[in-house]
Amino acid sequence: MPDVEKNTVDTAAIATMLQSKDAEMKRILNYCVRCGICAESCFLYMAHKGDPQYMPSYKVINSLGILYKKKGNVDKSFFEGIKGLVWRNCVLCHRCYCPIGIDIPRMIDFTRSICRSQGVYPDHDGGESWL
Amino acid sequence: MYDVYGFIRGPMVWLSFAIFFGGLLYQARQFYVLTMETSLPRPPASVTGLAKGAVKRSSFDPRTMLFASAHPVLAVITTAFHACIIILPVFLLAHNVLLFESFGFSLFVFPEPVAGLMTWLVIFCGIFFLLRRILFDHVRAISTPYDYAILLIVIAPFLTGYLATRQWFGYESILVLHILAGELMLVAIPFTKLKHGLLFFFYRYLMHYEHTLGRGSRTWSGTTLHKRGNANA
Ligand code: SF4
Ligand code: SF4
Repeated sequence: MPDVEKNTVDTAAIATMLQSKDAEMKRILNYCVRCGICAESCFLYMAHKGDPQYMPSYKVINSLGILYKKKGNVDKSFFEGIKGLVWRNCVLCHRCYCPIGIDIPRMIDFTRSICRSQGVYPDHDGGESWL
Repeated sequence: MYDVYGFIRGPMVWLSFAIFFGGLLYQARQFYVLTMETSLPRPPASVTGLAKGAVKRSSFDPRTMLFASAHPVLAVITTAFHACIIILPVFLLAHNVLLFESFGFSLFVFPEPVAGLMTWLVIFCGIFFLLRRILFDHVRAISTPYDYAILLIVIAPFLTGYLATRQWFGYESILVLHILAGELMLVAIPFTKLKHGLLFFFYRYLMHYEHTLGRGSRTWSGTTLHKRGNANA
């Protein structure tokens, strides 16, 4: 179990969660051709005048992508770092459009679940506004 | 002396085609292993119903068809690029001469000036994609050496093919380079990101999600690599 007080995470549990969907998630991460076409379909990307941090694929590559690359061997600060990417930078509206069929929100949703499993939640009162 | 040229022009071509077709079949099979029929509601199975559903979701609207969020210039360039890459090698005169020599039949062929224009188009689009990757912040932010390598693998056969046709820089050596580049591309397609040429149809037409173009009849089965063998290729 993650110990919220001690600021630790349960890497074995993270690895198990990652493994439970690796056939899908690793495959899709590997399938993304990094074309950036999805960018302008995200209203948050547009609202932030093209800040790459709001691009759908960027959010997934730099959260779930790293989790898979490191096989879940991350620390609490990693989750604190991606919290903004998966909560503040995405509202799971499912508008993002990938021409080759990548379902980005599904991956962000999964990443949020992993965050929650480690006691990491969005700061709705911490000034992380969406716009 | 062992005939390396002969090998590159002979057995290696057949081997590359075998890996290409075998690899595509493998990827198609993996798709069905890793996904299952969904019980979620979906458009009717009839062809007319499917067409109606697709029109409703604007998938036949040229403006939104495949590139809903792409800039119109990008949409035109990427469409031309993909079309030429697939069509040109199949209907090229020189390739069909080889086809005839091997199997005794050939396909329709493009007149040489048209083929030359299409080759130029591929090279121009390739340079466009390269510059886009380097110059646009949002594309650069997600680009890795792998993505540049993929672009190079795709452009190389067309560039060397053009040089070979013009007989520049020594025909024989450019031709061997061209054949090697073509073989590399064939082998790379099923096992790199280039597999989107095939999997596009599976993901866009069969998977159940917001932007499906077909019935969306399948969903991921939640299979893990550990239970069902390596699905990562
Ligand atoms: S998610 Fe799709 S549109 Fe976005 S960068 Fe990847 S392949 Fe391109
Ligand atoms: S689901 Fe997230 S990434 Fe996709 S368009 Fe909505 S806010 Fe943007």
